[in-house]
Amino acid sequence: MPQRENEVESMSSATADPRPRAVVSGGAVTVAGWRCRDCAHPMTHEVLRCPVCRGGTGAAAFSPQGEVFASTCLRIRVPGHEPPFAMAYLLLDDGPRVLVHTEGEQPLRVGSRAVITSITADGDLVAAGCEQEES
Amino acid sequence: MSAVVYGVGTTKFGRQPGRSGSSLGQEAILEALGDAGVDSVDAVYAGTVFGAPGTAQRALQDAGITAVPVLTFENACATSSTAFHEARHAVMSGRYERVLCLGIETMTSSFDGPITPEVTDSEGRAGLALPGVYALVASRYAYLHGLDTKALAQLAVKNRRHGSFNPRAQHGKEVTLEEVLASRMVADPLTLYQCCDISDAATAAVVGVPRGNDRDVRIAGSALRSGRLWDHRSTQPWGYELMGEVAAAAWEDAGIGPEEIDLFEVHDAFTIGELTATEALGLTAPGGGADLVLSGHTALGGRQPVNPSGGLLSRGHPLGATGLAQIAEAVWQLRGDAGGRQVEGARVAAVETMGGGTAGIDGNGCVVVVLGG
Ligand SMILES: [Zn+2]
Repeated sequence: MPQRENEVESMSSATADPRPRAVVSGGAVTVAGWRCRDCAHPMTHEVLRCPVCRGGTGAAAFSPQGEVFASTCLRIRVPGHEPPFAMAYLLLDDGPRVLVHTEGEQPLRVGSRAVITSITADGDLVAAGCEQEES
Repeated sequence: MSAVVYGVGTTKFGRQPGRSGSSLGQEAILEALGDAGVDSVDAVYAGTVFGAPGTAQRALQDAGITAVPVLTFENACATSSTAFHEARHAVMSGRYERVLCLGIETMTSSFDGPITPEVTDSEGRAGLALPGVYALVASRYAYLHGLDTKALAQLAVKNRRHGSFNPRAQHGKEVTLEEVLASRMVADPLTLYQCCDISDAATAAVVGVPRGNDRDVRIAGSALRSGRLWDHRSTQPWGYELMGEVAAAAWEDAGIGPEEIDLFEVHDAFTIGELTATEALGLTAPGGGADLVLSGHTALGGRQPVNPSGGLLSRGHPLGATGLAQIAEAVWQLRGDAGGRQVEGARVAAVETMGGGTAGIDGNGCVVVVLGG
């Protein structure tokens, strides 16, 4: 099964960094992932078969916009990350839920809209809230 | 065939960097064997999360236990609860008459500070340390139900008060509500005193076939499973549905419901962990966890004390040893041997341990055990 061998080969390169990947093109960010061809289950990392239905999967691009599912600010030492740093789960529109970093110390409000704006040099997704600053 | 606990043993909990896993392990093993009144076992079901290969065998040979099958489990925080659940089934199936369960963890020699996130994990690589995992639970819980941060802090006050009666606890000093709220913020909204400490300790239990000994404690039921996919389809905080599912299986196995339990030892690695556990286990309806704390229902002297040992918040959290520490407390309580933290008239106890750290699923593993009855 040559196709299977190719799948394994591509996986070994894709698993080196386990974080979701985003692509910046012309100032616009898209989240690069995979989607099940049978049940449309969205995924941020490559798998041999869909974990929900065992269907085949194909590359997919997801919207960088979504709704904040939960948020916090970590204020402890974590290797490679300077505290304090805020994080959130972002439920992408018609896509997977991803863990993102957010600017500043104030966690984004749960239920509010946010958008992935960039990727750090180290490879973390960064999102910003879409709410107007309250006056 | 059913299974009972013959005896339990633990070391003290705390930063004991000068002590080897073997030294800690021997102490717990010898206490458990003495408590059980046996000097040999048919098999050993051990657990450690960060321990080196051979950790269990090193302690066992020094305690004079050799030439038996030794299995080492890893299931994150639920490691030695998993070993206990499996030992119970090994005895129930007739495979062994007597199994020694063992948990060993020497964390201060592995970490300078808090546990560092796993870099092969997508969320660990992004910097999500365990306090962050539970902080996100608190955040989601607050969105669904509302969350009074004072109630959360009061939970730490409760458990630290319980821990003040536990001579083996790492943090055996009471704290005030003001101190909990004013302690350093670790991950919003969890302050330092709402987070368990890393710890060095070993714990052990001997599980065997019923032998007509009054001191033996019946294992009424138990359940173990890993989390389902926890992804864009999930609306609940991390771990909540897994705890509920495992608890339901344990209640069914035991033929006992949460309202009949006299005391609980649950996974309060962080305050929010106990709050969500009490709801998932069915002590109250979703959103009712804070009232259980504020009303005193779950305090010593209340109707259903939760974490009379002081919990992980007082005892400390030596990952692979924690589950059997919870089991040991339940056994002491059911025998009436718990001293100043004794729950009066305790007949039935439940233990819940939640192991996590793997992104994408609702928990590496959760174990719920029902003892006594
Ligand atoms: Zn599918």
